Amino acid sequence: MPEPESELSSREVEHVARLARLGITEDEVIRYRDQLRHILTAIDALKRADTSTVPATAHPLEERNVMRDDRSEPCLTAEEALKNAPSREDSYFKVKAIQE
Amino acid sequence: MKLFQRTIRDLHQMLLDREISSVELTESVLGHIDAVGEKTKAYLLVTRELALRQAKAADDRLRARRDVKPLTGIPIALKDVLCVKDVVSTAGSKILKGFTPPYSATVVDRLESEGAVFLGKTNCDEFAMGSSNENSGYWPVHNPWGLDRVPGGSSGGSAAAVASGEAIAALGSDTGGSIRQPAALTGTVGMKPTYGRVSRYGLIAFASSLDQIGPMTRDVVDAALLLQSIAGHDPRDSTSSTRPVPDYLATLRKGVKGMRLGVPKEYFVTGMEPAVEQAINDAIRLLEQQGAKIEEVSLPHSDVALPAYYIIAPAEASSNLARYDGVRYGHQAPGAKNLIEEYMLTRQQGFGAEVKRRIMLGTYALSSGYYDAYYLQAQKVRTLIIEDFKRAFEKVDALLGATSPTVAFPLGAKTQDPVAMYLNDIITIPANLGNVCGISVPCGLADGLPIGLQVIAPGFREETALQVAYAFEAAADFRKLQSPLMRAA
Repeated sequence: MPEPESELSSREVEHVARLARLGITEDEVIRYRDQLRHILTAIDALKRADTSTVPATAHPLEERNVMRDDRSEPCLTAEEALKNAPSREDSYFKVKAIQE
Repeated sequence: MKLFQRTIRDLHQMLLDREISSVELTESVLGHIDAVGEKTKAYLLVTRELALRQAKAADDRLRARRDVKPLTGIPIALKDVLCVKDVVSTAGSKILKGFTPPYSATVVDRLESEGAVFLGKTNCDEFAMGSSNENSGYWPVHNPWGLDRVPGGSSGGSAAAVASGEAIAALGSDTGGSIRQPAALTGTVGMKPTYGRVSRYGLIAFASSLDQIGPMTRDVVDAALLLQSIAGHDPRDSTSSTRPVPDYLATLRKGVKGMRLGVPKEYFVTGMEPAVEQAINDAIRLLEQQGAKIEEVSLPHSDVALPAYYIIAPAEASSNLARYDGVRYGHQAPGAKNLIEEYMLTRQQGFGAEVKRRIMLGTYALSSGYYDAYYLQAQKVRTLIIEDFKRAFEKVDALLGATSPTVAFPLGAKTQDPVAMYLNDIITIPANLGNVCGISVPCGLADGLPIGLQVIAPGFREETALQVAYAFEAAADFRKLQSPLMRAA
């Protein structure tokens, strides 16, 4: 496992943007690289905390496994659910082909 | 005194006494929006027709004395992250331009059933990410106390609307300080309830384990009234608590005599403006004079709260914002060759710079090889923050500190430096990570700009935070302070 370090590379920025499905320009790669380096340096203070015996907190909830009765309830109609769709066909969202 | 300058409580009495109608009141506020709206730019959308329709309905209800509630007929502004059925709701983002939700947030439904009047959607930092409102995808908001100053963020539009007289009260959302910090910077009262106290159903998500909706008002009584109407369990939000909601007004005026109030020494951070430090010390002394016992306490992990937050919140955001892909709603980039390109272009065109920065930061922190060092470590630090608060609250009933280390800064002063911008939230973030509640209440002015005192109470002890804030407000009498835009009318 590579050690996290603040010297983020341009390639890593491009990789992360791709993972996030975020188009960025060449100029932005440089700008975000520099800004993220700066932010990651500030965030490095995290390592100061001794957490060797500390469990992680993912959420602060007291409730566990919240269930409701298995019965049908009113929900949106297809028309309501589709009213904001940029592209649709009949009662479906229309998307571009995943494979060409 | 003009109607739009008054509080919920005063106006409720006037409505009950038939001294005024909700239509008159609503017209008074809408008229003031016309007068100063171009100066503050607090609203993204003013729902004039809807407001007048709701006001007429509220007047029918008041006339018939049927089911009259504290908010019946009261004009309220809603932060644009709250979904209102068939009313454009964008979270301040271009990617949601023109989006009309098919359902309303639970808090919106609750206000509606009380007969509240909706003035419109207030401007905010895009997806609630920011501390100055300059990250709005549309335009920045100007502080009613000084138009060259930011109103704070991310609920900057809601804060500016309440401070300028463009709303009687407003709802905001707070993930790392987004209600309390703008409240402090605009001389208003803003409360972040405990996570789970208010339903998040229909709140456009930023960081789902931290987001919480809360009231932004002219005074503490109004904050209690507004919280009362939105708090409580919602079957549509499985993270909302089933704990009963206390009567916040019942304990509000009990005072602080004999209460133990802690002052975390870590909250006097480096870079705090001397005038802010002075005002906070004066506020602490005033509460001591009211009979509170003041003790210095330590929250030793406060210095790592900010770094932990800037891993956890972006990580959750990067996941939450994956839904904006141009398929089901919102912007869709034209002319893409295939689906992947359509995603990439849609998100490139639709998101602003800060949102992209946080999506990348979060994606990086969650990516293979970095997860343990960043995300897992941040979650462990979150446990340490929770334990810090638990230990402090074994000794004291509530904590006191500044809300923001500075007063409102000039527009543009921090936009080029994300880290400097993030430091604005250094004393508000711990309450979100530590799952406690907090309120900001005005405690003075420095060069004509407001300062906020923050009162933090244990989880689900909103009544304690309100009680301390009220005692301070009553003793200090900063309540009468009004922004130049409110006074000018």
